Amino acid sequence: MSLLSTTRRRLGACLLGLVMAAAVHAQGNLEIDTPAIAALKQSMQKRHAQLAPLYAAGAVGLAADGTVALRDAGSVPLAQRTQANAAIAAENADRAALYREIARANDHPEWEADVRRTFAQRWIDRAQPGWWVQQGGKWVQK
Amino acid sequence: MPDASRWLLAAVLAMSASACVTINIYFPAAAAEKAADRIIDEVWQLREGAAAAPAPGPAQGESK
Amino acid sequence: MRARLSACCVLALLVGGVSPAQAVDRLSVAVADVVSAGLVLRDIRAEFDAARGTAAISVARARFGERVERDLRLRCGRAALDFQGFTCHRAAAQVGGKRIPAVFDLELDRRHGHVRMAAVLDGGGRLELDAGEGGRVRARLAELKAEGLQALLAAWSPSLVRRVQDLQPAGRVSGELDWQPGAGASPRLEVQLRLSEAGFGTADGLRAAEKLAVDLSLDARRSGAAWHWQLALDWQAGAAYLHPLFLEAGPRLSAHGRLDDRQLHIERAELELEGVRRVSASASADLDALDQGRLALEVQGADLAVVGPRWIAPLVAPASAERWAFAGHASGALQLAQGRLQAAEVAFDAAGFSLAAAADGTALALGPIGGALSWRAGQRSGARLQVAGGHWGKLALGGFEVDAELMGEGVTVARTRVPVLDGALVLDDLSLWRGAAGWAGRGSVVIEPVSMPALTAALELPQMSGVLSASLPGLRVSPGEIALDGALVISVFDGYLHATGLRLREPFGVAAHLNADVEARHIDLAQLTETFSFGSMSGFVDADVRGLELARWRPVAFAARIASSPGEYRRRISQRAVENIGALGGAGAIAAIQRSLLRLFDTFGYSELGLQCRLARGVCLMDGIEGATRADGGFVIVRGGGVPALDVIGYNRRVDWDELVDRLQRVIAGNVSPELR
Repeated sequence: MSLLSTTRRRLGACLLGLVMAAAVHAQGNLEIDTPAIAALKQSMQKRHAQLAPLYAAGAVGLAADGTVALRDAGSVPLAQRTQANAAIAAENADRAALYREIARANDHPEWEADVRRTFAQRWIDRAQPGWWVQQGGKWVQK
Repeated sequence: MPDASRWLLAAVLAMSASACVTINIYFPAAAAEKAADRIIDEVWQLREGAAAAPAPGPAQGESK
Repeated sequence: MRARLSACCVLALLVGGVSPAQAVDRLSVAVADVVSAGLVLRDIRAEFDAARGTAAISVARARFGERVERDLRLRCGRAALDFQGFTCHRAAAQVGGKRIPAVFDLELDRRHGHVRMAAVLDGGGRLELDAGEGGRVRARLAELKAEGLQALLAAWSPSLVRRVQDLQPAGRVSGELDWQPGAGASPRLEVQLRLSEAGFGTADGLRAAEKLAVDLSLDARRSGAAWHWQLALDWQAGAAYLHPLFLEAGPRLSAHGRLDDRQLHIERAELELEGVRRVSASASADLDALDQGRLALEVQGADLAVVGPRWIAPLVAPASAERWAFAGHASGALQLAQGRLQAAEVAFDAAGFSLAAAADGTALALGPIGGALSWRAGQRSGARLQVAGGHWGKLALGGFEVDAELMGEGVTVARTRVPVLDGALVLDDLSLWRGAAGWAGRGSVVIEPVSMPALTAALELPQMSGVLSASLPGLRVSPGEIALDGALVISVFDGYLHATGLRLREPFGVAAHLNADVEARHIDLAQLTETFSFGSMSGFVDADVRGLELARWRPVAFAARIASSPGEYRRRISQRAVENIGALGGAGAIAAIQRSLLRLFDTFGYSELGLQCRLARGVCLMDGIEGATRADGGFVIVRGGGVPALDVIGYNRRVDWDELVDRLQRVIAGNVSPELR
């Protein structure tokens, strides 16, 4: 009868899952007010002053995987391309940390990929006209 | 317990167990979108809507 | 070959029926074929109009080596033909109905066997060719523009031009080329070129250069089937971006090698580069697949302070490039094949690396470092480094040795003992590997006892006695997290602190934070309050801090419970400590018995004390002794006992954490009057 006992245990786990899912659903909000997320937001907000002109010039685009990517460095003065690349790398490091932190703050580290996907779509949806975003593997201008 | 009914029970339990897997990885997509929008508002400073518009103008000049 | 061509011409003239003594008025010449080594011209027609001084020459089909062109036409604006030769000025040339974008001047001097050609390109610039006796050809380029040169090349090889066009070349080129057929079969080519205001850029902007000035000299000789060449490049002005590196003028290259049946060999190249004593390289590649070749690079005496920010940081750590600082020297050798790194050897000489803190995090510095590492694709190799010391925040690290084994994108470090004050941080069996999402790894950590007086002095904290040690056998590294399973124990204030579930999250970013659960037992209040000048209390407490989260070493979240330790011991609290507890609570936070009564005694007895604080979002939700909530909403922090007895009761359950810390600091500093109700 060992089969039955294992399945019963699974059923129990399943019910627990249902309860947890329902709890989150009922709450309707994800926890994003943690010090780590606040620090990341602040860091990204500060960097946005540097990135905004790069988005507008098409040098940097919003990629489908929730990162930013060097799309066309041609519009950036030669001497500033290394800094632009550094800003992209730093932004992507912050974004990766942000997605992890949101998943962690909600006690579901395994949600990281879902959080990333959701953000990727929202960054793209909310990009300003003229910015470049990656859709279906291609860069398109909004 | 006859073999057949034992298998039936196992199948039913397995089904409910596999159904529960989908529940376990349930991700609150709508809540996540709301959270993403709140963070994007702050990072891109879009909260006052209009304040965002002039940003690309002088910025573009800078990048050239 | 020349003889045959001349004979052919003479024959043609005779066929035209012209007497050599007479001036030629109008002449039509048709020649079936001119055949010479490597050159075949078929169906040549020439028409000279002496009266107007013009000429038109056409060739129906021309073959130069492998190459075939149809319908070649040359129309001379001013032409002259005599037995000295033939001149053709202001000529326009067409190939296959397309004009070559230049105006030509041609002179054929039959007597001296000279052919001179000058072309003024539409886009500007002048190209002169002089073919002399013995097949020597000299070319002179004067301010040829990239666009003009491309247009000229387009007639020759559209595919090559298309390839070049992707690079958007710009600029001017001047210089000389000298082709000497030489005796036997050993021709020689000498080239001196100067590029100015030159540049290029790929469509994605990942490779580009601007305002380049480069001097190039090439000397190549053929012996047998191979060409032996020497090349010198002097980059005098301009800048380039080769993703992700920004390079500026200054480097000089000299190289020699051979070209053997489309196989290019660079036997040795030497590069003069700022900040490096010597860079040398050798390489070989098929001309048709240059990026598939192999390259060996040797760097000697690189000054890391110069080379680090320019070459290392943008490649290795672009996100934190600006926070890295380098010192000392390194030498190394790299081998690449098919565009991949095959082997690397690096030796450090008093090298130093430091990473400044992100925001107000903790800075890390290591060095001077000596030793060497070697890495080979697909093979085990090793690294042995001697680190003379370092700093982690305010903590000085002693000298240590790292003995590592490298394999692919992984590293295994044998036991490494890093002295910290009078103890040590010992890493055991640490292995790290790089996956798609980042670095991962595992190992174990032991902290050999560090005395608290030394540690607190180093961290500029109030002096504490005791010892810190840790046994963390379960070190796990995953992208964004370092988990330390095991326990860190601090024996302090006659009791101990026991931290478990240590998690260092986002350790290298702005959101670095540490999570842990802390259990404290039998902490002597007398020592604690004395250390922090908090008045005087006697007795012992136990504390449990669950879900402690530290960001930049400051608590940002926890659920803490402090309670009197069980057992029999003296329990007294001084008047000043009561006042300080009152001061902590802020206005109206804690009520005590009347001030006048308080003043009467120096110390009071208590039977129990307890404090709870749940910190989240900057607010501490307070509570007192468990289950001691009063009807008036207050909570008991100190329950009196003995004579004289005193209750301390808190009323303010929501306390701003920063304010609380601020008050605590002021209480410790000494001058806060209690606010009593």
